[in-house]
Amino acid sequence: MGGIVVISVLKYKKLPVIWEFMRTTNHRKIGTLYILFGFIFFLRAGIDALFIRSQLAVPNNDFWVFQFEKYNEVFTTHGTMMIFFAATPMLLGLMNIAVPLQIGARDLAFPFLNAVGFWLFFTGGMLFNIAFFLNSAPAIGWTGYAPLSTSLFTLGVGSDFYVFSLQISGLGTIFTALNLIVTIVRMRAPGMKFTRMPLFTWATLITAFLILVAFTVLAIGLYLLMFDRMFGTKFFHGPDGDPVYWQHLFWIFGHPEVYILALPAFGIFSDIISTFSKKRVFGYPAMVLSIVLIGFLSFMVWVHHMFTVGLGPVTNTIFAITTMAIAVPTGIKVFNWLFTMRGGVLRFTTPMLFSLGFIPSFVMGGVTGVMLSVSAADFQFHDSHFVVAHFHYVIIASTILGIFAGIYYYYPKITGFVLDEKLGKWHFWLFLIGFHLTFFPMHISGLNGMPRRVYTFRVGEGLEITNLLSTIGAFTMGISMLFFFYNLFKTHKKGEKVGNDPWDGRTLEWTVGSPSPEHTFTPMPFVEETDPFWYAKLRRERIKTTKEHRASPISRDSILPFLMTITLGFMSFCMIYKWYVPAIILGAGVFSFFVIRAFHDERAEHYGKEQTDDE
Amino acid sequence: MKKITILPFIILLAGCQSITVLDPKSSTGKEQAYLIWFSLAIMAIVLLVVFILFTRFVIRYRYTEKKSEFIPQDIKGNLKYELTWTIIPFILLAVLAVPTLKITFDQSPKTEAETNTNGIHINVTAEQFRWTFEHKNSKTVHNELIIPENKDITFHLSSKDVIHSFWIPELAGKVDVIPNKELIYVIKNAEIGEYDGKCAEFCGIQHANMTFDVKVVSMEKYNQYLKQSSNQENED
Repeated sequence: MGGIVVISVLKYKKLPVIWEFMRTTNHRKIGTLYILFGFIFFLRAGIDALFIRSQLAVPNNDFWVFQFEKYNEVFTTHGTMMIFFAATPMLLGLMNIAVPLQIGARDLAFPFLNAVGFWLFFTGGMLFNIAFFLNSAPAIGWTGYAPLSTSLFTLGVGSDFYVFSLQISGLGTIFTALNLIVTIVRMRAPGMKFTRMPLFTWATLITAFLILVAFTVLAIGLYLLMFDRMFGTKFFHGPDGDPVYWQHLFWIFGHPEVYILALPAFGIFSDIISTFSKKRVFGYPAMVLSIVLIGFLSFMVWVHHMFTVGLGPVTNTIFAITTMAIAVPTGIKVFNWLFTMRGGVLRFTTPMLFSLGFIPSFVMGGVTGVMLSVSAADFQFHDSHFVVAHFHYVIIASTILGIFAGIYYYYPKITGFVLDEKLGKWHFWLFLIGFHLTFFPMHISGLNGMPRRVYTFRVGEGLEITNLLSTIGAFTMGISMLFFFYNLFKTHKKGEKVGNDPWDGRTLEWTVGSPSPEHTFTPMPFVEETDPFWYAKLRRERIKTTKEHRASPISRDSILPFLMTITLGFMSFCMIYKWYVPAIILGAGVFSFFVIRAFHDERAEHYGKEQTDDE
Repeated sequence: MKKITILPFIILLAGCQSITVLDPKSSTGKEQAYLIWFSLAIMAIVLLVVFILFTRFVIRYRYTEKKSEFIPQDIKGNLKYELTWTIIPFILLAVLAVPTLKITFDQSPKTEAETNTNGIHINVTAEQFRWTFEHKNSKTVHNELIIPENKDITFHLSSKDVIHSFWIPELAGKVDVIPNKELIYVIKNAEIGEYDGKCAEFCGIQHANMTFDVKVVSMEKYNQYLKQSSNQENED
């Protein structure tokens, strides 16, 4: 696989392109990298899922080597990769591409930091994948529950790979979140008040705040776990420590993480449904308010992952109620989407199909979510395949369908091409059918007593049919991805570029070129309403512009972000194997890159020029 | 009216009577199954409303050649509608919350035993990868749990190493088994029969095989069982 990549790179003389992307700080290019690598990790984690389903296809199965330790490694990798290295980065990629264009900004506020954020994610992802080739993949579940994850019970370096790679990529996510917050607050086009921002931008803003808090808590948890594993502290075991501390820290991160994945997808769906219904979003203020409320409530429900831990009846009931409460703003959003469609003209393009597929699928995941909040009933659901079914329904229906919808929708802004509609529809229908076929039967497997994370089940437990169906469904989803690849191949081979506005869009991103150029929005657009581009088109006018001047970030190529993070990656690798001397040297290396950066401003040569461009 | 609309769902689900968790063999499990059914019924209402609206809108407002130049009316929102779908879910959840709170208060695992003298007390110790059950006369067996019918069985759960989870799907939900902390979980009025017990919290390489057999027997048989020496009953 790697060999093919190397050969084709050399054959088609693409080295300069790679060199360009290694140094870029432009938001569209970094967004593209995020999506590209997120997608590669998505495939790897998807293949893991197929291994899992192959092993579980029939009772007492001995599929290849995937039982015992290998099976445990595979489901750990599947979960960790999907959440941290596939779903989150692909969403960050879409934000990177679309948000500056939606608000009329030239780039993110801190282009250099943006590059650092991406390369941190890249380094973390690579570090996590290296563990597989060194035969020391972690086998602790994506939740890494202590004390199993402490050095008492997982002696090898597998769990250290988990700790370090999540720590590094989490740091990158925090940087990008900070960047997005500053960009959205400071860089909006003149006249674009908060009340006129597109909903994807709103969702991004709230998500960024969630990331800031949640990933910080995760970082603290991982830091403590690192001390437990490497330096003999006892935070999560022994008479003074408590394994439940880890669960609190993990779920104070983990529950908001679910909404970090869902909210941006909600934003994408809002924009797409509005565009392809030819209508503005129904109840814009309620939509914004419910995003904010969901964000706020997401920090108050983490204990619903811990109903069986024995925190007592009072705690259990309080968190049952707060969890139910989150259904209300979510319900508001669903009905507002439905009423956005009402009275409109619905065009069933591929992005719209993914958005339409989302609504009923997500509601099915939502109602099982409410059922899980019924704490005494949760004693039965907890850690069974019912829960597996629930969270796949929620995460795939929102995040993954949202990412596909976003990729099809924004593909012209990324590459200048529109993906083939017919193949897109094949992709959608196979994926949707496979998805329901995989996860609907899991509700029944769970209620029939199938715990999660087991590699086998016996004949006569009533689990044969449902498991077989799930496996067939999983492979159907796998096949649907082949249509997506063929689509990419075919579209690029055909090579028909499209204009600025292939979808008859409503917001500012459709006023700039496809793919979006590095120098956008000159002169500055002046925004007087939501969906300004749509109303300008209705009035047959050009969008209003202003001579007003605005400080704008300058993106300049630099190799420093790449060097910085790769060095950090090597340092972590040495730490994992406890090679402290090289680790210290590499640490000093990272620090010296900081110093170089502090004394070197790659934008210096550009100052002055920019002003003359604008005037 | 609403009752009629959920009827097909209930008929559909009646076919699932053989599902383990929904057909429990103890009063603890029955209360949990009741909650599952009750929440499912309320949620079925929500599902049905969304599905009907969704199907109707998708079919009715789809693009046709006639509409190619049609510009829909510019609607910003509707306070009355939006209040409706804020308040009704609120009421549904409030209805759901009442039995949830009541049963959760009764059933949540605790850290101290109540003075329940009638009940049978059994110590459960979990370790990688084995269950140990200690009855009141110190009779100790591995991976086999025998309990009498129609009693309150109070389990005292503790773990020797990592976190495990004690689960007998036919009888009642899970409770975690945690090192350095004893948890109390009560299962009431089990019916005679043979059931499967499992570990539900991932605990290491043999997690999938950390199972145990459960037999619910009459009180006389249980007393007999206690008198037999443990060696005879079960060799490690």
